[in-house]
Amino acid sequence: MQVHSHPIHHPTLTKGISRPQLLACGVLILTLGLSVDFRQTRSALVTPANAADDCEQVVQPKATLSRSGLAKFLTIPEGKPRQAIRQFIHQPYCQLPKLHIRAGAVAEREAYPLGFDPRHWLVVLYEGDQYAGFEFVLHAGS
Amino acid sequence: MQDLNLSYMLAPRPVWQAWGHQLLLLIWAGLVAIGVGGCWQRSPHPTIEITLYQNWQLQPGDTLAGYTVAGGLGDISLVLGGQPIYAPYAGTTQLDQRGCIFYSAENVPAYMLRLCGVSTPHLGSVQAGDEIGRGSMLHLATLRKQPNGTWAMVEPDQTFIERLLQHP
Repeated sequence: MQVHSHPIHHPTLTKGISRPQLLACGVLILTLGLSVDFRQTRSALVTPANAADDCEQVVQPKATLSRSGLAKFLTIPEGKPRQAIRQFIHQPYCQLPKLHIRAGAVAEREAYPLGFDPRHWLVVLYEGDQYAGFEFVLHAGS
Repeated sequence: MQDLNLSYMLAPRPVWQAWGHQLLLLIWAGLVAIGVGGCWQRSPHPTIEITLYQNWQLQPGDTLAGYTVAGGLGDISLVLGGQPIYAPYAGTTQLDQRGCIFYSAENVPAYMLRLCGVSTPHLGSVQAGDEIGRGSMLHLATLRKQPNGTWAMVEPDQTFIERLLQHP
């Protein structure tokens, strides 16, 4: 009976793949794995807050906000009356539910999709007749 | 004399084995560098710095006669007993230099909450109903943005505080 002697170390582990190549592949996979920010993945998987979902009443279905309208809006300081704001941004797409954040004040919120970037909406908050502030909200549905 | 088997040293070694140690070291160094670099960029959530409209002398986190100021004028203190605080809406949480959490909701402009005394804070983006943190004693301030860019402490509505304490 003939006994075949095999070298202890053989550079080729499997057909066509040498160990350095295997190591390089491993490093590549590990690098890719480490590069992925799972927290971003999580926030991408979870549906972000959606102003449109919150719409209580649609006011102007075709309303969008132009770049120049937004630019003018951003120059208006907080505390101005609603009428001063409406001169530049007109009727909103919809109204969000009223909130009670501050004792004795009702917060009304109006939403405007941006005409040049429909993924983002502008949400404007009023208390009584007074403009209190704004926020850009990511609109998941677009 | 000890019988040393030196045959493995004399035998021709494949290239991969000769460079194996160096290659492994290089790989580990690379992985450590990636890990450290990645953590450096991601782990610290930037702290928030705001200017309060009411410039009172004592603020939460200050030290007075060797004691820590837990809550200040304008705070509402709640005995939580380790129970959680929930985000009423999707938004963002950040810490300030004094270790208080600032929570702002995406759909609620002009307002921000300051939560002091919270342990195990959940920082970054939060969804509605997510736990922001827990605490034995919560000191809560409701802040409203002013035209000059400062934040004024205002009296919060009772229903809004309830939403922080009850899971939706």
